[in-house]
Amino acid sequence: MSNVIGIIRALNSGVKHLAVKRFTLRYPEQKLKFVGDGFQFNPETGVGIAGLRGRHILFHEHCTGCQLCSVACEGIAEAISMVKVHETWKHNKKAIMPQIDYGKCVFCGLCVDACPFYALYMTNDYELSSFTKSALIYTPAQLAIKPKISQDVEIKIDDRGASHG
Amino acid sequence: MTTQLPPGMNIETVDDKIMTLNVGPQHPGSGHMRLIIKVDGDYIVSCDPDPGYVHRGEEKMAEYRNYIQNIPHLERPVIHDSSNILYPYCLGVEELLGIEVPERAKYIRVIAAELNRCIYILYWLAIYGIFLGHSTMFMWPAGDRELFIDLLEAMSGARVTHAYLVPGGVRNDLPSNFEERCLRQVEYFEKRLKEYEAVFYQNPLLKARTEGSGILSRTDAIRLGTTGSVLRASGVDFDVRKKEPYDVYENLDFQTIVMKEGDSYARSRVPYLEMFESCRIIKDALRKMPKSGSVRTKLKPNPKGGNDEVYRRIESGRGAIGYYIVSNNRPEPYRVKISVGSFRNLICMPYLLKGEKLGNMPAVYWGLNYWPVEADR
Ligand code: SF4
Ligand code: SF4
Repeated sequence: MSNVIGIIRALNSGVKHLAVKRFTLRYPEQKLKFVGDGFQFNPETGVGIAGLRGRHILFHEHCTGCQLCSVACEGIAEAISMVKVHETWKHNKKAIMPQIDYGKCVFCGLCVDACPFYALYMTNDYELSSFTKSALIYTPAQLAIKPKISQDVEIKIDDRGASHG
Repeated sequence: MTTQLPPGMNIETVDDKIMTLNVGPQHPGSGHMRLIIKVDGDYIVSCDPDPGYVHRGEEKMAEYRNYIQNIPHLERPVIHDSSNILYPYCLGVEELLGIEVPERAKYIRVIAAELNRCIYILYWLAIYGIFLGHSTMFMWPAGDRELFIDLLEAMSGARVTHAYLVPGGVRNDLPSNFEERCLRQVEYFEKRLKEYEAVFYQNPLLKARTEGSGILSRTDAIRLGTTGSVLRASGVDFDVRKKEPYDVYENLDFQTIVMKEGDSYARSRVPYLEMFESCRIIKDALRKMPKSGSVRTKLKPNPKGGNDEVYRRIESGRGAIGYYIVSNNRPEPYRVKISVGSFRNLICMPYLLKGEKLGNMPAVYWGLNYWPVEADR
């Protein structure tokens, strides 16, 4: 008898959820909102600024071509290679800048921690899939583009349960 | 004619009544490993676990990378519990290099570790549910896990492989209004967790399959060297967080969950009850945390350790994880040895499965909290 009651209780707690809002995020119609504009790093204090670790953004006006980001990535994923750019910057004599292969990158953000010149940050852009491997390699020019994103859904909690928007 | 066999090898005698079953190595649930099971009718005669299919050489890789570059790959063995597997590494490296950790960072680390423990246990519970054919128990924890993933994503910037803990503190400070958001979601989760009780733990169907099966006695649990929830489900009060508190665990208010039965049911229930304690720790840590201050000690580039060695361990979702790190005046460690709970709990499997019904095998196997990728490292 107690078994029957147990089963009815178990079924009942499931049935109650018919009236509860669905928790599923309807991606890609809905996209989660993240804090800030992506992971950044302050080399002065040595502490990062919270944000999503998505695709990188490179500020050409700050990059000195010091290669520290590429050295940092060497032991991790070897995703960064330094390439020649056809730009003339006073502070970048060698005219080299990082190029990132997202087929290899693991989005650890340690290259951002390594950059001492506020030149390399990360952004909220995580949709990087492509049909070819070569399209995953982002040149310095592609990395400089600020991504356009619309992410606004947050987890909402009320008495009818949690839901996404 | 008798052929001479190499030493250590013998020819297996075949019994017509006994059948050999290979469970795995194609992913029996959580990673590639194989159980060689011999059955007589429906009953298991012997079980021979065969790990090693996902050996990645993490320990060797650690010898070629400096103390910071080691972080991303060392969390790969258990990506669902990535803060906890990095924790002892950070504690060890801090001791080797003589780094002080700011007080606020210690609290943030504890919060990250406890959030991650919940993520791991929920994932584990989801698989436990589907192993026993209970698909509601697969959907619910998998959905509720999102609450914690969301919080850790706000903290660290990544959903699964956080690379958040570093020697010297954490990578970045908490985002604004994190405390409030964390409290709200953790409180909601506690309410949700109570609903699991009726649908799963008091469910007669679960009880019929797990109660009294695969009993591990207290003495056996100690003798076989098990750890974590398996040990506590057999009535041994041992939790590294209590016995050798690291960071700020001694200031926080929580209990060790111990159950006496030592059967599959107890092993499935201990991690569940531990989630309530984790929520308590998170709420307590949020209350006691210093509201401002540094979160990371600045390191020299390429820090070197002296001629020294350390061993530090912590409590993860699967038991104690220990790191033994040797340094020899170089920026890279000389040797890193990782001792994990999964591997130590695996040894119970032949003892627990002997004489069990084949149908109880998934419950016993998954109750041991065994994670193949972590065990093989
Ligand atoms: S995020 Fe990590 S893996 Fe990716 S480029 Fe930077 S250092 Fe390399
Ligand atoms: S991005 Fe930063 S670390 Fe990399 S080359 Fe430019 S300045 Fe140096």
